[in-house]
Amino acid sequence: MFYDLNVPWSIKEPDLQRTLAFLSELGYGVVALTYTLSGKLPADLTSPIPTTLPFPTPSKLNVLRRCTLILSDPSQNHRISSLAATYDILAIRPTDERTLQQACQSLDCDIISLDLTQRLGYHFKFKMLSQAIERGVRFEICYAPGVTATDSGARRNLISNATQLIRATRGRGLVISSEAKKALGCRGPWDVVNLAAVWGLGQERGREAVSKEARSVVVTAQIKRTSFRGVVDVVYGGEKPDSTKKEARVKNGLGKRTADAISNGTDSAVEGSKPISKRQKKKLDHEAQMAAKKASTSESTNLLGTVPPREASTAG
Amino acid sequence: MVRLKNRYLLINILYPSDANPTNPATALPDVVQFRQPSSDALTAQLLTRMVREGVAELFGDYGAGMVAGSLVVKYLSPATSTAIIRVARAHYRLVWAALTCTTQLPRPVAQSCVVQVVRVSGTIRKAEEEAIRRARASVLRARRAAGGDGLGVEALLGGEGVGTGDGGEDKTMEGIESEDEEE
Repeated sequence: MFYDLNVPWSIKEPDLQRTLAFLSELGYGVVALTYTLSGKLPADLTSPIPTTLPFPTPSKLNVLRRCTLILSDPSQNHRISSLAATYDILAIRPTDERTLQQACQSLDCDIISLDLTQRLGYHFKFKMLSQAIERGVRFEICYAPGVTATDSGARRNLISNATQLIRATRGRGLVISSEAKKALGCRGPWDVVNLAAVWGLGQERGREAVSKEARSVVVTAQIKRTSFRGVVDVVYGGEKPDSTKKEARVKNGLGKRTADAISNGTDSAVEGSKPISKRQKKKLDHEAQMAAKKASTSESTNLLGTVPPREASTAG
Repeated sequence: MVRLKNRYLLINILYPSDANPTNPATALPDVVQFRQPSSDALTAQLLTRMVREGVAELFGDYGAGMVAGSLVVKYLSPATSTAIIRVARAHYRLVWAALTCTTQLPRPVAQSCVVQVVRVSGTIRKAEEEAIRRARASVLRARRAAGGDGLGVEALLGGEGVGTGDGGEDKTMEGIESEDEEE
């Protein structure tokens, strides 16, 4: 199963249906439609991509929804958690080194997608990138802008940056996707693997970048959203118990009352026959003993109190 | 004398963009559309030139020089848009990358296309067998795609074609399709 996690989406896109059909034809199994957000976030964060697309998609193709957030100001609050909840995958596109650092260290996203067709004014550092990879965030290389570029500048930058990225990440934690605006920009998965091999990523690593790593992005993103603390997910909760019988009983006026009676009876029975613990017994015994003692002593004092006058009287 | 080691790349030329957009009701199914036959103007010489120029553009004189000695188009079928290209084993990735970066066929045809390498093989025989297998599978798929609405696909594919359009055979083919390419 091959993954292409970046297919740009816009409202007026007559070519999208064709692009999806073509990707399916090339052998991809999972595709993510990308909606790009930049600058100040709107108040309404709901995804504009409909869950069911208005045209037929190939039956073998699984379509996900992804959001790419362009990060230009590190101090701005991006409401990432609420944004992440409305999409299947959240990607971040840092524009400079500071935002890249922020994205690597702290931001809770699934993919860091740099614009590799630009000339970046900084070098990638393994330390910074490995922080992100350890957290489970993947780096994305988009090949379509380089493949379809008419000017050689974009292609040159893409190759340069991609090799830099491969070097800095040591080939780990990379995802390769298309970002193809038209079907013409898409390439078959094995062609992409070969392209990455030419750029210095090993054949196996390249294959993982379009299959295993991309899958891990999808699965971790899903488990982050649906599961309990990202650890436990209910895959199949079992069927609900058959409630029809119970209802019938209640209608007869039998069910609940008998149940109540039984529960009351058992409750009282339990209370009545509750065995006393040893400690309790000891305590009770002790109390009884003390009480008896007290009573006897008071009696004796009484006796003593009453006796002396008598003694005195007898003595006197 | 050490024998020359070659690689045979089996390629498919796909046409993702609609050349003459018609209304959606009469349009061909996507499967047929993408795998339409190439124009007759596409010859082996033209394809060789395209590959050579592509390598030269992407890898410069070095790449072009390395590849030039062994690059031959062994087989080209415009009807199925399939070709087999021979290249020295040491440099087949250069040719493959150049094919990947191709977006348009050369001048007399000048049609936008996507080239997909579907098989890399050490002998031409295996490449041939794969080509036949794939052609058959794509006919089956096209039949099935057209099955519902019954367009004139029968005529397009030459009447009574290969095999019957049952699902089982096609499924096994799909399974093989995703296997590793021979190194």
